[in-house]
Amino acid sequence: MLNNSNTKTMTLKQYQWLRMTIAVILAIIFSQAIIFRNYLIPIAAITLAFLVLILAKKKVKGVIADERDYAIGGKAALLTIQVYSWLAVIAMFILYAQKDLNPAYEPIALTLAYSTCLLMITYGLIFRYYDKINFLDKKVIYTILIILVFVAVVIFGIRLFSGEDDWLCQNGQWVQHGHPDFPQPTRECK
Amino acid sequence: MKNKIKELRIKLNITQEELAKLAGVRRETIVFLEQGKYNPSLNLAYQVAKALKTDIEKLFIFE
Repeated sequence: MLNNSNTKTMTLKQYQWLRMTIAVILAIIFSQAIIFRNYLIPIAAITLAFLVLILAKKKVKGVIADERDYAIGGKAALLTIQVYSWLAVIAMFILYAQKDLNPAYEPIALTLAYSTCLLMITYGLIFRYYDKINFLDKKVIYTILIILVFVAVVIFGIRLFSGEDDWLCQNGQWVQHGHPDFPQPTRECK
Repeated sequence: MKNKIKELRIKLNITQEELAKLAGVRRETIVFLEQGKYNPSLNLAYQVAKALKTDIEKLFIFE
């Protein structure tokens, strides 16, 4: 993917190809991870992809995005949030109202509700940040992002390894702990 | 907002790509600027004016 004339630089087109390739690879990894119920590989893959893209971005010769892109990006993001929020809220109410028909609707409705709340809170915080603090200070932005990613990974890790929603072996019998989303183990409980 | 970017760029015999490089933006932004479809920030207006060896007041027509 590197330029022949100068091995340390990359053209914008090469960077865009790399970005697209990484997105395709990530999609394949995600789909396989869901099939095989392995949720650590996607986290590792997305972290690796993030690092590769940061390194590649530094090698790009030329402007990747300018002020017009940021202006368009801002408008598009705001509109996306509004559209998503309305659709999610409507879907949430419909699914929650229909929960008696299918119990699976309730967790979907709650996930939609919480994700919409999280999206709005995140948007509000970031808006407040840009409104009050010098948005050119990239160090502060990176520090906040790293802290947020760290907190998310810790919460996810605790949730994953805490033993919640699992089958526990007690007195020679498998006992349901929480709401495990997989059937009772077939192996012998000793 | 109307401007004389295209006129001055042709006069100086520089391409959109070269002007974009001098102003630190993508070529598409220069295209939109020339068509009057994008109002630049003060900083970009200054950079474009500087690249075209002119002043902002002479480059952009404030109506």
